Amino acid sequence: MKMSQNTSDKDEQSSSNKKNISLPISRVRLIMKSSPDVSSINQDALFLTTKATELFVQHLALSSFNKGSGKETNSLSYSDLAHTAEETETFHFLTDILPKKILASDYLKSLEQMQDEDADY
Amino acid sequence: MASSSGNDDDLTIPRAAINKMIKETLPNVRVANDARELVVNCCTEFIHLISSEANEICNKSDKKTISPEHVINALESLGFASYITEVKDVLQECKTVALKRRKASSRLENLGIPEEELLRQQQELFAKARQQQAELAQQEWLQMQQAAQQAQMAAASASTAQQAGSSQDEDEEDDI
Repeated sequence: MKMSQNTSDKDEQSSSNKKNISLPISRVRLIMKSSPDVSSINQDALFLTTKATELFVQHLALSSFNKGSGKETNSLSYSDLAHTAEETETFHFLTDILPKKILASDYLKSLEQMQDEDADY
Repeated sequence: MASSSGNDDDLTIPRAAINKMIKETLPNVRVANDARELVVNCCTEFIHLISSEANEICNKSDKKTISPEHVINALESLGFASYITEVKDVLQECKTVALKRRKASSRLENLGIPEEELLRQQQELFAKARQQQAELAQQEWLQMQQAAQQAQMAAASASTAQQAGSSQDEDEEDDI
């Protein structure tokens, strides 16, 4: 008859209030604890972090969409996200994990250019 | 999805939860798969960012456990002050829900039925159910046996009837 963590998460979600939490709190805790030096986290602090993460997702998605090139076509691409991270100061911490992807065709072109330059010699 | 290799860096928020949030935030927008994957990883990065900052703030204070106050200060110093109001609201909401749940469970306790008694009743019900199932199974078995026997008898009498066919006719004539 023990309630598992997942059940308690769902209980918190079952309040049909808009302000409830959608992300799994237990997973957020695991990620927090995998940060170096983080020892113990107060339960309320955990709720706050989870909700902040949700707001972050919404913020990132909306900013990227509004600033991005996909607005006419109603789409959101990887590069939209990458650009927003570079242009928005509070998102600069993301630049480490998103190398700007280059198209394979562009890469091949620049390879060809390099080869042509070599050939000139 | 978190891998079972035990590598902490593989811990991420489940993809489904992120997809749901993206859909709610940008309804009807086509989001590329690699963009979704990126959002998942950005979440992890964000959580690490907040945790580290909150942890530092916590260390500077004389507390050992990261408190809500530390998290709020972390959000502020990292440029996410705009999140603070909504985040505080949710805290209140969660406390209310937790309080309701505690009240509900204490109401259950106040029914006067201690947990051992409830367990005993549960065991009783299980035992009854097992017995009923056993009886049902036995009935079915008996029915099957009877059906098999009847089939056998029917087959046997059919063959004897064929053999005794001529002598029966003679008897009937005598009765008339």
